[in-house]
Parts: sequence; C-alpha cells; structure tokens
Amino acid sequence: MASSRKITLRSSDGESFEVEEAVAVESQTIKHMIEDDCADNAIPLPNVTSKILAKVIEYCKKHVDASKAEDRVNDEDLKAWDAAFIKVDQVDQATLFDLILAANYLNIKSLLDLTCQTVADMIKGNLFPVRNEWLNFTFSIANRELVLVCLTEWVAHRRLFCS
Amino acid sequence: MAVTQQKPTNLDDNEEEEEAGAVAVSTHSPLHGDVLDLTLSHVPLVDLVHAARVSRSWSLAVSSSLRHFRKPKPWLLVHYQSTRSPHVVSTRAYDPRSLVWMDMEVGPGRRQPPAKLASALRSSHSTLLYGVSPARLSFSSDPLHLTWRHASPPSAWRVDPVVALVGSRLVVAGGACDFEDDPLSVEVYDLQAHTWSVCASMPAPLKDTSASVWLSVATDRRRMYVMEKLTGATHAFDPEVGAWLGPYDLRPDHGVFYSVIGFAGDRLVVVGLLGNSEDVKGVKLWGSIAVGADELEEICEMPEELVKELKDDSCRVSSISMCSRGDFVFVCSNSKPEIVFWCEREDASGVWRWGTARDPAARGRSLGQRVAYTCAEVGIGELREAAATGNGRFVVMEGR
Repeated sequence: MASSRKITLRSSDGESFEVEEAVAVESQTIKHMIEDDCADNAIPLPNVTSKILAKVIEYCKKHVDASKAEDRVNDEDLKAWDAAFIKVDQVDQATLFDLILAANYLNIKSLLDLTCQTVADMIKGNLFPVRNEWLNFTFSIANRELVLVCLTEWVAHRRLFCS
Repeated sequence: MAVTQQKPTNLDDNEEEEEAGAVAVSTHSPLHGDVLDLTLSHVPLVDLVHAARVSRSWSLAVSSSLRHFRKPKPWLLVHYQSTRSPHVVSTRAYDPRSLVWMDMEVGPGRRQPPAKLASALRSSHSTLLYGVSPARLSFSSDPLHLTWRHASPPSAWRVDPVVALVGSRLVVAGGACDFEDDPLSVEVYDLQAHTWSVCASMPAPLKDTSASVWLSVATDRRRMYVMEKLTGATHAFDPEVGAWLGPYDLRPDHGVFYSVIGFAGDRLVVVGLLGNSEDVKGVKLWGSIAVGADELEEICEMPEELVKELKDDSCRVSSISMCSRGDFVFVCSNSKPEIVFWCEREDASGVWRWGTARDPAARGRSLGQRVAYTCAEVGIGELREAAATGNGRFVVMEGR
C-alpha cells in the first residue's frame, strides 16, 4: 500500500481536511475505520468541530514528522513544541477541554496524556481545603483560574456535599 | 484566562435536577466520566485528597480513577535525624504513582513528637521506626509514623539491637553491650500485656554479628527473619513459641557478596550485590517460589546503566538498604542518598522492572544526619486522617 495515500476527514460543521494516511492513523479510531475499509469516501467525525480538528491535525503532523527524523535530537524539541502547543494563552480553556474530548474520541494517546496532564497541573495547587466550622464539613474551592471546571461543579452540587 | 462560558440557565437546570432527586452526574461540566477519571489520574495523591472534596461527582471520580486508571503505589519515606541536639527528625516522602517528592509538615496538634526522640532513629523491616535508649523503647508502625508508642526498656543494656514487630509482639535481639552476660539474648515485649519476657537466645553463629548494622530483618505475620548481610545465612524466630529456626541458605547465586531480605506482599524477596565491594558487577532481585517456601528464583536483574549509577565516584558500594511493600521494592545506597532505585511488578504482565528516582535535595540534607528508610501503603484515607488529626501534612516540593 502506498504510504502517501491521502485520507479525507470531515468535521461536524462540514469542513473537509485532507491528510496523509500516516498522520491520520495517529488516531486509533481512524486507523480501525481504515482497516475496516470504511475510508473510501471522507471519514465523518461528528464529534469534532473544524477548529479543533485543525489543531489535532497540526499535532499529529508534528509528531509523525518528528518520528521520521533521528529520535534523540527531537525528544527535547518535541517536548518544547508540545508545551508551546498547549500553552494556555494560545489555547483557551474551552478549546483545551474540546481537545481532550476530541483526543478521547479519536483515541490519540499522546495528545490525551498531554491535555489531561495540563488540566491536572491546573487542578493540583489550585484547590484549597476550606473548613466550615459551623456546618462541620470540609470542602474545596478553586481559585479563579479553575472556574470553568470546579466552580460550576461546586455551585451545582453544593447541596450534595458529604463531609 | 478565558471567562467562564457557562450561562446562568445551566444552574437552573441543575436546580431542577436536584429537586427531582436525580443522581448527581454532572453533564454540564465539560469534564466528566472517563475523561475526568483520566485527568485525575495525572494529579498527585496529595492533591486528590482535596479534589475529592470539590463535589460528590468528583469524589466518585477520584475513587474510580484510583481504582481503574492509576492505582496508589507504596510510598518511600526517608527520615532524617540530626546528629546534633535536639536530634530533630524530619521526613520526606516519594510517591511513585505521581513521581513527586514531598516534605512532611508536622502540625501543632502532634502529641507525641518523635522530633525529640532521645536515641538514634532506626528502621526495621520496611514498616517499623524505633529508637532504643536505656530509658525507654519508642516505636511507630503506622504507615505515616504519626503515632508513637513507648515501652519500658529491655532489661539488658543494648546498643544496637535487632528490633522487629511481629503481630502484637516486639522482638528485641542481640546488640547487647559488652558488659552484659549474654550478648545474644532475646527479649519479647507483649504489646497488650505491656510485659517483657526472655526467650531463647540468638543462634551461636551470630555471636560477632548480632547488631542491626550486620543483619537485615524481615517479618511476616508469624515470624522474624534475620539475614547476615555479608554471608547470607538466615535464621528465623517465632515469638509465639520463642524458638529459633534455620539456618537457611538464601543465596542461590554464590557470586553475591552482600544481600538484604524483605517481604513484597506475601513473598520473601532478597536483593543481592554481585562481585565485590570495590567492583560491583550486578544487582539481582530474587523471590521465594511460593508463599512459605524457602527456595528462591530470580525475579529481575538490574540493567547495567543503573548499576553504574549505583556505584559512587570511586566505584565502591559500601552498603544498601531495602524497603518493600506489595509489588514494590525500593533499594537505597547509603553512599548515594540522592538516588533511589526501585523495582516494580507491573499489573498487566506480572513482569518486574527496575527504575530510578532522584531527589536533588537529598545530598545537602543528609550531611550530618542519620537516615532511616521505611515504606508505606498510603492512600487517600491515610492522608485524610493525617491532615484531620493535625498530625501531618505533605507538601510537594517546588519543581520535581
């Protein structure tokens, strides 16, 4: 099979992206679809918007290119590139969470680990235990940076706390 | 930082859900279910204690994450005791699940401060910390060593005895001062009756090596096992019967010049150094074939590049200590405190593999300090209790 075969991916908002097969199969989900011969026409990805799909493709392309060149030299550079890719000024929180969901759906382990680690780093050190002496229970609050993740949880479920 | 995009109407939806008595599964937060569990698997255990208190669904997610995605692993606890008065004890911990080193902060609520232990701090069989002085015997066997108990001292004056906790009995053997009649005497302290009794003395071959510096100790529920580090000769003591058993030969490879003994789960394990002290050729881990058997099989050999790291600048390895719990074995070299070697049994394949962890702060810390190592199975429950009683809190060091 020719290694430079092109695969077309269609995002949920109808945009098509043409990528090399080697890049597309970074996603285990897409890899299985190709093996099952469902990839003659475009592969529909109803759970991924074009904005997110573009970023995912950018990530996969970089990693495929990196593995072609010599390993040792690119390890450090690749880590630096990953850090810049996921940096929270570049990627706002909503996009970060969308990337997690996309990486989960597309089953791209390295991207999933990278995005989850980023959110985990936000979680650790951003949770503060608070003891409510009157009601005698302890809960955690998050500082402003983690509003999207934690505060909605806390406000929504504040009646359901256990100590 | 982006402003929250959640609209107030979502909160109204949640209110309705609560009133309908619906199960508290949050579908409004972008992180839920498997993805939340996976994210939490990257959070260190010390922070998961707080994460579990954010909400009920997060509490469930923390439990689920610890069970299915990344289980807690035994911690290595490094206890430093200053050799100068007032002999303060401080503790650092390593969590192999999250790859973080932590300092233990002692809360003001701590009632029995081992910080003022008036004797040399020592450890035994991975789980016991103790100090023996003519005035008393102090010891701690809980996972984070927050509770200390004190017993009257043994009747013989002992300088460096072997001490082990077997069930509800504390065994103190050997290490007696020259002035004592029987340098090999053994006494057992019953924790419930608070009384000492004298038992059969240590076997004669241990006459010159009865101090804990020469002997490696391991315990299972019924017996104490004592191995001479330089010869490998092993004896077992059953405190219920008060009798010695053995000797056993636990060196399957005769190239071993130094070995230490321990228990990983129910299995007896031995770590041996091959070659000689000027030129260590290898390090191997052996384990008993079956529970209770005294025949050993080789489990795993340390890779060459790690053996190189074990040797210090002049290629000598003076001594090693081992701590083990469950599927983890930690090996530390006394001349190189900044590196910790571990051997872990992988869940999926059952294969053991070696690795290292570096503590950059260790070299500076260990100057002028006595070091003792213990190993503990620490979970959310233990951390919560430690924080709640005000006895201890773990703080992650800045940077890894």
